[in-house]
Amino acid sequence: MRTYIIRRLLILPVLVLGVTILIFVLISMLTPYERAALYVTDIPKRQGAIDDVIAKYGLDDPIHEQYLRWMGKVVRGDLGWSKTDKSPVAEVIRRRLPATVELTLFASLPMVGVGIWLGIQAAVNHNKFIDQILRVNSIIGWSIPIFVFALIVMMIFYARLQWFPPGRLSDWAQRIVLSDEFSRYTQLNTIDSLLNGRGDILLDAVRHLVLPVLSLSYLNWALILRVTRSSMLETLRQDYLTTARAKGLTERNVVNKHALPNALIPVATIGGLVLIALLNGVVITETVFNYPGIGSFMAQAAITLDVISVLGIALYAGVVLVVGNLVVDLLYAFLDPRIRLA
Amino acid sequence: MKTLRQLLRNPTSLTGLILVFFFAVIALAAPVIAPPAENARDPYIIPRDGFVVEPQPPSREHPLGTTEGQYDILYGIVWGTRTAFRVGLVITLFTAVMGVMVGSIAAFYGGWVDDVLMRFTEIFMAFPFLLAALTLTAVLQTVYGRGEAGILIWGAKVIALVAFGHLPTRPLDPVSLRLMTGMMALMAFGWMTYARLIRGDILSLKERDFVLAARTMGAGDFRILFRHILPNAIYPTLVVASMDIGSYVLSFAALGFLGLGAQIGYADWGQMISFARNWIPRLAQHWYIVLFPGATIMLFVLGWNLIGDAFRDILDPRLRGARG
Repeated sequence: MRTYIIRRLLILPVLVLGVTILIFVLISMLTPYERAALYVTDIPKRQGAIDDVIAKYGLDDPIHEQYLRWMGKVVRGDLGWSKTDKSPVAEVIRRRLPATVELTLFASLPMVGVGIWLGIQAAVNHNKFIDQILRVNSIIGWSIPIFVFALIVMMIFYARLQWFPPGRLSDWAQRIVLSDEFSRYTQLNTIDSLLNGRGDILLDAVRHLVLPVLSLSYLNWALILRVTRSSMLETLRQDYLTTARAKGLTERNVVNKHALPNALIPVATIGGLVLIALLNGVVITETVFNYPGIGSFMAQAAITLDVISVLGIALYAGVVLVVGNLVVDLLYAFLDPRIRLA
Repeated sequence: MKTLRQLLRNPTSLTGLILVFFFAVIALAAPVIAPPAENARDPYIIPRDGFVVEPQPPSREHPLGTTEGQYDILYGIVWGTRTAFRVGLVITLFTAVMGVMVGSIAAFYGGWVDDVLMRFTEIFMAFPFLLAALTLTAVLQTVYGRGEAGILIWGAKVIALVAFGHLPTRPLDPVSLRLMTGMMALMAFGWMTYARLIRGDILSLKERDFVLAARTMGAGDFRILFRHILPNAIYPTLVVASMDIGSYVLSFAALGFLGLGAQIGYADWGQMISFARNWIPRLAQHWYIVLFPGATIMLFVLGWNLIGDAFRDILDPRLRGARG
């Protein structure tokens, strides 16, 4: 176990280094003029001012020197200047991160539960009606693009029924949240409103979260359902379950106590896939629902070809994914003793 | 042959095959179903009926209505089918070839070559796919947008040759160049699965006796790899590739939806749906701008996914006994 963890931890810096190099290769495809946005904090009005910036920051220097200088800034948390938001990229990420965290948190918790529960139902009722229904549903769900799904739920629940509005908070709630009497402990509106004892704001935050959470999670529960189902099917056919049944245990006991723990091991491996789906999904979901998180900012920056902002977020997402995958791998080793010995 | 017969017998995959066949017919018959205007320079540019901003509901002239800016939805869907097939097939082809090259070289030579190539692969996998593609598309559009792309223009020319039959001697037009930036970005971050898959298959094959036999007969590395090992190892990769066509179309549509796909007005499903973004509060009234293109993408991807799902069940020997 310990050597496994050490080996995985040793790969981490290599991957993070690789991620930064790849991002820098993309940056160096830009001209020095375009790259100047990494350093300036405002668009210079004076003629030739950009040339001064290029000279000052050595944007024509050999590539490895530029990389080291850029890395020095990245390590200190400086990702350059975002022309979309007219503020430093790192500052934009810090400001918008809580919204995205809140969204993904609410999307991931129920989706794991629902996905696993449905997967078990499908496997236990293998080839019966309920299995076929879930199977077809998950394939269809897998085929609906997330943006089409999001637009359709908007069409029904916002445009027609007016139940759930887009955005993150209504204007009146936003004013209260930003005022002095409301302390923002976590920056997550749902939790903060509870801590402040404001039920009305909690309700407003939840109303805004329902549709984006639904859009972001339906894809993933289809994925978790399929993996749980096939893993459960395989486990249910093992000899030790026949033994358990022969001992006279109830079917419920056999499924929940004996089969499920083993069947869930492969489900843990798709944690990385789910994380990828979430990171990809927030870009589209937040854009459709006009939700002020990192994803919608990235989409906005990409359209206006604000490459510096896009690369900053890509770097951030890359590091999140590398660390996330490490956690998933360690969790997997913890769950499955066979991995530890390997 | 046996696999094909099983695919035809299984109701799920039969539905999938029918769907894909249906779209193939639409793509081939595009000039008949939605004839381009006589003076049209490029049939892929959707004709506009005036410049009114507000979408118009289905009418006799426009059976599926028009999007904002009066692009005909039926025309866009029909010609977009060609774009979808082209995008899906070309991206899959290139990613598979790139992946097979990297994976087979890594597995065949082993040692430090394997180490370096696989770390390289892992670094590319360290980015969320769509996010990475979005990033690279933005970079490529900046690079190509300024007119001189240096060596990168040759990459675009190779893809243009395969995708459009566009000879490398002719200059690239901006419309297809724009389309290719998204395709190139998806390729750049799509090849890793194939590399890892083929690597595993080759690793288990290369110690087999027939490889040793070929070597004793004096065959060189390249001959052994391409004539003896690859033909035996390629089958699983081909299956995975066929299953990926739908998801590449989906990813490309997502880029289009975010505004980084084809040029405005080009027949591309993702972009057609992106036209709906400005009308969200009034979608109850303008439902057709979401439902028609949305259903089209869904059915197309569903077709490929149904085939892929059945494929996996047929090829997975562990599940064979379970299908009563």
